[in-house]
Amino acid sequence: MAQQETFDSAPTLAKVFVRAALAGKKSGSTLPASELVLKGHTVDREHLLDYQRLCGFGVDDVLPHTYPHILGFPLQAELMARKAFPLPLVGLVHVENVITVRRTLTADDVLDVSVHAEDLRDHPKGRQVDLVTEVSVDGESVWSGRSTYLARGRGNPDAERGTEAPPIPTGVAAAQWRLQGDLGRRYAAVSGDVNPIHMHPLTAKAMGFPKAIAHGMWTSARVLAALGRSVNGPSTSHVWFRKPVLLPGSVDLVVDRGSQPVVAGLRSTRKPETEHLVLTFARR
Amino acid sequence: MSPTSPRRAAVLGGNRIPFARQFGPYANASNQDMFTAALEGLVARYGLGGERLGEVVGGAVIKHSRDFNLTREAVLGSSLAPETTAYDVQQACGTGLENAILVSNKIKLGQIESGIAGGVDTASDAPIMVTEKLRRKLLRVNRAKSTAEMAKKLLAIRPTDLGIETPANTEPRTGLSMGEHMAITAKKWGITREAQDELAAASHQNLAAAYDRGFFDDLMTSYLGLAKDQNLRPDSSVEKLAKLKPVFGKGEGATMTAGNSTPLTDGASAVLLGSEEWAAEHNLPVQAWFVDGEVAAVDYVHGDEGLLMAPAYAVPRLLARQGLSLQDFDYYEIHEAFASTVLSTLKAWEDEDFCRDRLGLEKPLGSIDRSKLNVNGSSLAAGHPFAATGGRIVASLAKMLHEKGPGSRGLISICAAGGQGVVAILEGA
Repeated sequence: MAQQETFDSAPTLAKVFVRAALAGKKSGSTLPASELVLKGHTVDREHLLDYQRLCGFGVDDVLPHTYPHILGFPLQAELMARKAFPLPLVGLVHVENVITVRRTLTADDVLDVSVHAEDLRDHPKGRQVDLVTEVSVDGESVWSGRSTYLARGRGNPDAERGTEAPPIPTGVAAAQWRLQGDLGRRYAAVSGDVNPIHMHPLTAKAMGFPKAIAHGMWTSARVLAALGRSVNGPSTSHVWFRKPVLLPGSVDLVVDRGSQPVVAGLRSTRKPETEHLVLTFARR
Repeated sequence: MSPTSPRRAAVLGGNRIPFARQFGPYANASNQDMFTAALEGLVARYGLGGERLGEVVGGAVIKHSRDFNLTREAVLGSSLAPETTAYDVQQACGTGLENAILVSNKIKLGQIESGIAGGVDTASDAPIMVTEKLRRKLLRVNRAKSTAEMAKKLLAIRPTDLGIETPANTEPRTGLSMGEHMAITAKKWGITREAQDELAAASHQNLAAAYDRGFFDDLMTSYLGLAKDQNLRPDSSVEKLAKLKPVFGKGEGATMTAGNSTPLTDGASAVLLGSEEWAAEHNLPVQAWFVDGEVAAVDYVHGDEGLLMAPAYAVPRLLARQGLSLQDFDYYEIHEAFASTVLSTLKAWEDEDFCRDRLGLEKPLGSIDRSKLNVNGSSLAAGHPFAATGGRIVASLAKMLHEKGPGSRGLISICAAGGQGVVAILEGA
């Protein structure tokens, strides 16, 4: 039975990250049974507008497909930073994300956001876990997200890799985006995700990256926004993150609208063989 | 030869976002955001998702240079089929109504079957320009071929060149603001402070009453948390308005206050038009027929006509073409740029000398039944995001005429900067 812990406001991520960095070694093979709940969240319209602008969604009252994710993310981080969580928060790689929108949400909806962890499993390159975010309005389940994180380490070569992504669409780019060097800082300001790998070339270098890298959920939101307004209605998206997007940099959007579900991808402009993400999208 | 109209153009409905005061809830929304929201509300209400319309015509009076394709970008951001064409028009405050004339004309000629006419304006998210001197020097820097030349051109910039300018509500040729121009006209026509305040109070009371009986329920979608025009003061009264100090005109006899002039506003509107056949195919009842439109301009620079008096000239031309008199209408929608604009126009039509000398008429157009004027409020209460006003009026009037019944008639009159005026006639269906 899940243990519910209710929050009046989202945990501050900077503090969570510091706590996680100081937490020391983690181990174990069981997940905490806690369910962290943010109750009665009213959407801050200025925050929503900043998010819509930064990710390329239209500025209106409809919540973008990916918006509830950033409401749940602080709870995810809080849970993963805890001693009882078997994997280290710092260094976790976001590898997959599935979102289901059951009905169009607006800024007037009062949201209950709950997060729990499940399905700790072996992976050929380490161990994986799913952080599940459920959003409801007046008890009606309206939005679900499943974020899969990989902790690199001693893996199990026989373990399953999970669902296979479709191949990235080929052909000419549908759009080309020049991403500024401060994109990570700007998304951090909106999402609260101040992971040092996104903030500055120096902090990213300290973490083993050549430059600052874009937040995966920004890249996925930007691609979804480019698919048109229908993404904010009842729909399901599944994104597989590949190579990180280095900042500043240029990326090409590729889309295959002929397939069902629609397949979209993001690849490097300079080196098209470098794939950043593959995403499928289907209306419900 | 009289012009023949091969077929009729129908007004099928409209949508707008509530109008917000400058730096209010829409302070951070762009023209594109607001027009897309107005369009999207219309698309949702009339089930136009994925539909390829004949065209969408929009525009804004105050526009960033990056918004060169403002309306097309809004269409691409909407649920309309991306194959829907679009273009921008700019005719100051007449933009929205001119757009409705353009779309209805194409429908009448059979060039298109359907279209959306609208407009948007923001007084908050305005472009900022550098001073003209600095702009020229910066362009020179940009043209420089070498770093040395660039440095030289940069050094030519003096501290006194620095500064920013925002678009002003000023006539470039006269240097007078619109309010100052209007004050001259109001004085000329002897428009009293009391009459202006009465009109302003009526505008607020009428708009409030229209909200109360749900008139705007199918004409509006809330946006960024705003569900009603922000400028509306349901408790407005002549007594309260009388306390305000004049802001336009000088000294004794100044009559124009912030209460009887429209405030700077942000907002957007869109109107759906179509042929009779297209409306039937889409099961959309015709609300009104877009009968005809006319545009006039006056010489306010060298001549002695008032800046906002052009509708006084456009209406009689339109009436003559349609064989109607000024009294043949059930509703009059005269845009309240200022209360005194409406009153000056009405007074001009009643004036024997003006109608004879300026309009070349044998007798004056006469008075109108004031109980038929702006019955659901107008710009003084709702606000006036320049290019969005035409769409607001066309959609509201079409609904009023539909409620009144077939054959009912409405007259729209909108004055615009640059000494122009756009007017139109709608007929209930």
